[in-house]
Amino acid sequence: MSMKEWLKERFPIDYEKFVEINERIFIKEPIPLHMKKWWYCSGATPLIVFAFQVITGILLTFYFVPSPEMAYESVRHITEDVRLGFWIRGLHRWGSNLMVIALLLHITRVFFTRAYRKPREINWMIGVILFFLTLTFSFTGYSLTYNQLSYWATTVGTNMIKQVPFIGTWLLTFLRGGEEVSANTLTRFFTIHVGLLPPLIIFFISLHIIILRLHGVSEPEGFPKGHYSFYPHHFYKIIIITLFLLTVMSTFTIILPPGLGEPANPAVTPLHIKPEWYFFPMYRFLKLVPLNVGIIVTGLFVVLMLFWPFIDPIIAKSENKRRLWAYAVGGLTLLITVGMTVWEMFSA
Amino acid sequence: MKEEKQSRRNFLFNFGIITAAFLAAVAFIRNVFLFLVPPRRKKKYHKYLVAEEQEIPVGQAKQISISKKPVFVLHLEDGYHVYSGICTHLGCIVRWEEDKQRFYCPCHKGVYDKHGNVISGPPPRPLDQFEVVKEGKLVYIQVQEKPGGPWA
Repeated sequence: MSMKEWLKERFPIDYEKFVEINERIFIKEPIPLHMKKWWYCSGATPLIVFAFQVITGILLTFYFVPSPEMAYESVRHITEDVRLGFWIRGLHRWGSNLMVIALLLHITRVFFTRAYRKPREINWMIGVILFFLTLTFSFTGYSLTYNQLSYWATTVGTNMIKQVPFIGTWLLTFLRGGEEVSANTLTRFFTIHVGLLPPLIIFFISLHIIILRLHGVSEPEGFPKGHYSFYPHHFYKIIIITLFLLTVMSTFTIILPPGLGEPANPAVTPLHIKPEWYFFPMYRFLKLVPLNVGIIVTGLFVVLMLFWPFIDPIIAKSENKRRLWAYAVGGLTLLITVGMTVWEMFSA
Repeated sequence: MKEEKQSRRNFLFNFGIITAAFLAAVAFIRNVFLFLVPPRRKKKYHKYLVAEEQEIPVGQAKQISISKKPVFVLHLEDGYHVYSGICTHLGCIVRWEEDKQRFYCPCHKGVYDKHGNVISGPPPRPLDQFEVVKEGKLVYIQVQEKPGGPWA
């Protein structure tokens, strides 16, 4: 009995049908002609980086110990003692930055080509959810290293959550596992980072891709109509992107390896404390306005972003005016966020 | 399915990508393996002072403790011998019986002679012995270095 027959007996599926489905869904997936331009492949980038994050993240848990006494020491151990530990940690750290960058580029591209329009509104909303899930990933992730910056970022970040109307205090106690940042906070952040967020994000990524496939990739104006098969052109493109990303992350890890910082000291807040760069706009904004105003305005911005595909058609009747509105809102958002980031970057 | 003919340029391009991807995957898997499997450390020893030449009369022993583990320093006719005080049967601590010139384990009645060899009882092998180094009037043993911290 051949291996194939043996398997067929145990998995009695219609093999020909399976090949046919695989061919229809993957190999011959119709890719619109504009996707030959790299800029339009920005959706695959975060997915590939996410896969790297999963692999390197699982590897890091082999050595990481989520306790206040051991967290910093275990990160030091990974970085300095374990063979290629600095590389795995570096890939994970740079991967997190790259994932945020990739998502920002993807969102910007989708917004300005107005790919969120009917009937793809829900997929835009899922995309926004994925972006904020990624930021939560980043925040909980860099809190785990338990150095001065991560400890105080956790303290400041969780304190901000307290300002959320109605449920703020409850949320704060829940996240910290008590009133103060303690051993409970660290284990909770670890559980959220490696236990809760991954299945959640995988669920939304799957939904995002399924909806994308059901509608087909949206085609921006100004490109010749037509399609080509996923295999071989797009398949090789994805491999090139994967190799490029691995090279970029690896190079950054070697040229700029992530440091360890000072071990967390709950008694002393460092003089110059800043969050990661992707929180700069928020951080700068909170320096300019009272805390509760900052939280509410940020919340409103998130709601605006989330429901933009439904707001866009209400604003104007003609398609041209809608486009202008979208460009104006998108341009202003970019200007403000980039401006705030640069401002924060160069201020003390 | 219609077979489409590939151009030479296309073939070489795709072949290059697949080769690069394959090499990257092999390098990645190698690195993951190295990351997960701690390297075998070469055993390193350092000298540890256990006695002075005249300190222990011939036929007598002194019990000391190294890293909280019992060690017996014996002065016999042929010089100094240093044994671990942990019974090789189930890890109880043996005692030196000077009148009988033997080690005795109270747990399961294991008996070792003054050279650490098993005379009777269940111990499967002789007592562990340390290498003795004499320098002038000082007696040292070679102790294996253990990496410090919680990662040992």
